[in-house]
Amino acid sequence: MSTAISTKAPPPRRRLAGHGLTEVALARLFIAPSVLVMAAVVLFPIGFALVTSLRSYTRRQVDGFAGLANYGTVLSDPAFWAAMRFTGLFTLTSVALEFVIGLAFALLMNHARRGRGVTRAVILVPWVIPTVVAGQMWAFMFNINPGFINSLLGLDDFNWLGSAGWATVTVIAADVWKTAPFAALLLLAGLQTIPSELYESARMDGASAWQRFWHLTLPLLRPAIMVALLFRTVDAVRVYDLPQVMTGGAFGTESLSMLVRQFIVITPDPGIGAALSTITFALVLGVGVLFVSQIGRSMVEGGSTR
Amino acid sequence: MQKKTWIAATAVSAMAVSLAACTPSGDDSAESGAITWAIGGARSQPGAAHDQIADLWNEANPDTPVTVEALPESADEAREQQALVLQAGGSEFDVLGLDVVWTGEYVENDWIVELDDRRDELDAAVLPGPMESASWNGSLWAVPLNTNTGVLYYRTDLVDAPPSEWEELCQVAADLDDSMSGYIGQGARYEGFTVNWLELYWSAGGELYNEDQSEVLFDVDIATEVTSFVAEATQDGCFAPGFNTAMEEESRIAYQSGDVAFMRNWPGPYSLIAEDADSPAHEATAVAPLPGFDGNPGVAAIGGFNNAISAFSENQEIATDFVVWAATDPEVQQILVENSTLPVLNAAYEDSDDPLITQLGEVLQTAQPRPSVPAWNEISLEIQSTIFPAVNGEMDPRAAAEQLAEFLEGTVAE
Repeated sequence: MSTAISTKAPPPRRRLAGHGLTEVALARLFIAPSVLVMAAVVLFPIGFALVTSLRSYTRRQVDGFAGLANYGTVLSDPAFWAAMRFTGLFTLTSVALEFVIGLAFALLMNHARRGRGVTRAVILVPWVIPTVVAGQMWAFMFNINPGFINSLLGLDDFNWLGSAGWATVTVIAADVWKTAPFAALLLLAGLQTIPSELYESARMDGASAWQRFWHLTLPLLRPAIMVALLFRTVDAVRVYDLPQVMTGGAFGTESLSMLVRQFIVITPDPGIGAALSTITFALVLGVGVLFVSQIGRSMVEGGSTR
Repeated sequence: MQKKTWIAATAVSAMAVSLAACTPSGDDSAESGAITWAIGGARSQPGAAHDQIADLWNEANPDTPVTVEALPESADEAREQQALVLQAGGSEFDVLGLDVVWTGEYVENDWIVELDDRRDELDAAVLPGPMESASWNGSLWAVPLNTNTGVLYYRTDLVDAPPSEWEELCQVAADLDDSMSGYIGQGARYEGFTVNWLELYWSAGGELYNEDQSEVLFDVDIATEVTSFVAEATQDGCFAPGFNTAMEEESRIAYQSGDVAFMRNWPGPYSLIAEDADSPAHEATAVAPLPGFDGNPGVAAIGGFNNAISAFSENQEIATDFVVWAATDPEVQQILVENSTLPVLNAAYEDSDDPLITQLGEVLQTAQPRPSVPAWNEISLEIQSTIFPAVNGEMDPRAAAEQLAEFLEGTVAE
């Protein structure tokens, strides 16, 4: 919010007749309440989690200051590393697939001349379905008994959800199905900002379709790609609902967020739960900062070439 | 400047109001004599058994009415809601509906009061298994309300008599035609798996703890044996291929659609199966006690809910009268039967002319509760992270049993 204001030319420091405040001071004054509320809503829980993660608990009751002991417990727990492995694998694979499929969808939607509305609607349907519903639906389809996928592929009794490795594949497949349309939507928005004259002149210069895509579309799409990857990566790192609904965390599909919930609700140890969620938060923040700094740079570079 | 503080104050107070609205309200308990019954579970929704029981009490006791505070259906979430109030010392809830495995945790947190002076009248009328689940450290801390137990469903058109041993069940399964598997139970990785495995372990003569839960009696050999049995049965097709992803519903669907000959489940699905005219199991289903191992009889696990009195309640006496009444009043216990829940009153089984209820009464005589130790959730998760991979061939059964034994020792040392 504040950057949008500061990038504009600074307003003249006029004083309103009869009042002692400049416009800038007045603007700050008006924004202050929302900044305060944002700080209370966003920063307080983060700070509280940090403090909680430094305390030791016995049966939900604070036992005293623990220093970094909770972090030590978490980092030496094999369940944590198993969850990290799954979360990492899930994030890399699903985001990569969603990007490729989403880009294909976006190009299709951008080029479709006839039936444009229908194409978009069809592609966007999965995104509208609530994740928990989608998860339950895919769990039913991959299941042996109603077994839609097995009868479709003629696999008889293949146990997708109940075998190591394949359980991860089903969760990733459901996530790609659900969120590739979202990536497509963001990329489509980017595609539509590219002026068609650029393509026309490239065609005049004899550039092939592949060359136009590689040298024109991709570089100009970079900011949109960055935004799409940022959103999807951050979402994937904190994945909870799909593996919870589809496999309950069995066969190596327990994510970091599921582990956090376990320590907050099922076997309550708020200290360890908070340490885990702080680690998850740091990961998400790290990913976010990385992408935002990239977006910032691509904005600057994109601006200088024009 | 004034404007700013006014806005900020409004914002802060709006937040405070919305935060306050998140905690369960206790308006009804404010008037003296009224009690609040906070209970979750599948039948806590309006119109179901709990409301009928409350109405029955309120008719006879208009001065001390009870209101039902329906908690979430998921046990974890219901427990979390109660914990929020109890940890803050709140008096909003007078009667707490406790899942049978929560007793020890609530006692150790000083959340509930002891009820030993009502023990004699309850012992005389109520089933021993549920009474055990309401006890901790030799004292009574809750009063059973309803119970539940695992039973073996079998197809009367395929077998003449239910198998009394697991080996026997798998022999029958081997002779079925190829489109059918032998058995399905709750083999997905969740609390149901723990229950299913414990039943097998108990049925082979194993125990987790001694009487007062002060000493671990875990037997690594027995645990290895039953774990290997499940692993082999899953491999050779005695257990259905969907066993390791099945919860209660998936099991019922597999059995009801004729994919398996035997099923372990709670009594709840019985009427659904009997009423489904399209099912091959329709009119050909009976229930029996679970099979055993090595000549030992099968042991079923007890589920259900107990009622405890909050340590912060301002109406403990009336609340105690209410929970004892709910356990011993024949009319209340009949409401449970009508809602497909099992009563805890001995007489409800003895007087019944329903053969299913009589049969379940027999199963319940030998059924056993999971130990209601404070660390039960940790233990259940440990069983899920050692035994579950072992029955799925991803861990050596003996190594899994040894790791579990070590964990159980740790729960007593604390």
